[in-house]
Amino acid sequence: MITLNRSQVIGAEFPDEDTIRFNGIQDDHIYSMEIRMDVRISNGEILAVDGIMKRYTNYVCPQAVPVLQTAVGMSLREEGWDRRIMKEIGRKGCEHFAEIIIECGHCLDQARMSGALWKAVQTDPDLDQEQFVQNWIDEHPEYQLA
Amino acid sequence: MTIRFLRNKVVEVEPQSDGSLAVSWRLTDDLLKAEVNLKVQPPDLEIVDAEVILGRLVPAAWSSAPELIKKAEGIRIGGGLRKIVKGLFGGKTGCALLAHAVLECSNAVILNFTRPGVQMLEGLADKEKVSLTQQMLKTNPRLIRSCVAFQDDSPIMQGLDL
Repeated sequence: MITLNRSQVIGAEFPDEDTIRFNGIQDDHIYSMEIRMDVRISNGEILAVDGIMKRYTNYVCPQAVPVLQTAVGMSLREEGWDRRIMKEIGRKGCEHFAEIIIECGHCLDQARMSGALWKAVQTDPDLDQEQFVQNWIDEHPEYQLA
Repeated sequence: MTIRFLRNKVVEVEPQSDGSLAVSWRLTDDLLKAEVNLKVQPPDLEIVDAEVILGRLVPAAWSSAPELIKKAEGIRIGGGLRKIVKGLFGGKTGCALLAHAVLECSNAVILNFTRPGVQMLEGLADKEKVSLTQQMLKTNPRLIRSCVAFQDDSPIMQGLDL
């Protein structure tokens, strides 16, 4: 039988041209958490973040929720951003919140590229999607392959 | 508002009859699907087998991933893992996806061994839970200051001289 399962689901919407809104959940046999986060696309800056702890291991854990505000202003594009998130949000708050934020960060460029491909396919249903993806990566040096 | 991108990931740990752990990591999103399977051998938690299958719209830079993942074989899940994985799979010739997958599989193995201890605490009075948690901190000092619950000013840490 499966003795440990962890699932993550990250959704992204684009409320305006320069904002991406993530909703991330992480559920496993021990923990259950959710993060909602707005990020400025042009520079990766975290504009707003909020979290919900649904299942955790001790009564101190919910004190990690206000620690999330430390992430506001951090950029998902700066060198070592994931280590900084783990240090500031994970170690001083909750590493599971940090894990969700980091996964949202990994999805930033993938979501942008997905949005661009969606638009392109609307105008050209026969588009070579593999070529489009490779061109998009080549044209966006900021793209983080993850 | 409809979402424009959705990623689902799941990692599972399944003990095998030979004593090893089968770890399955899978990702699917609008552009990519990936599956990493590791075999982990206790007691050293050595990764003895590693495989990856990538599909959908795979960046050309990851074409060597099936060969690259073999570098995970021989790694032991334990201290220094993050640095080792970064060394093996980081950089321009590496594959960040594999690094994430191996680290998340390893984390799942650790959580797999954590789960029985957490379940043991269920049903105990708060005072007993704190006492047992404090004992755990004494035997696992690396957890100290690892999260808000184990910071110096946490009520759980009161009375501990660690």
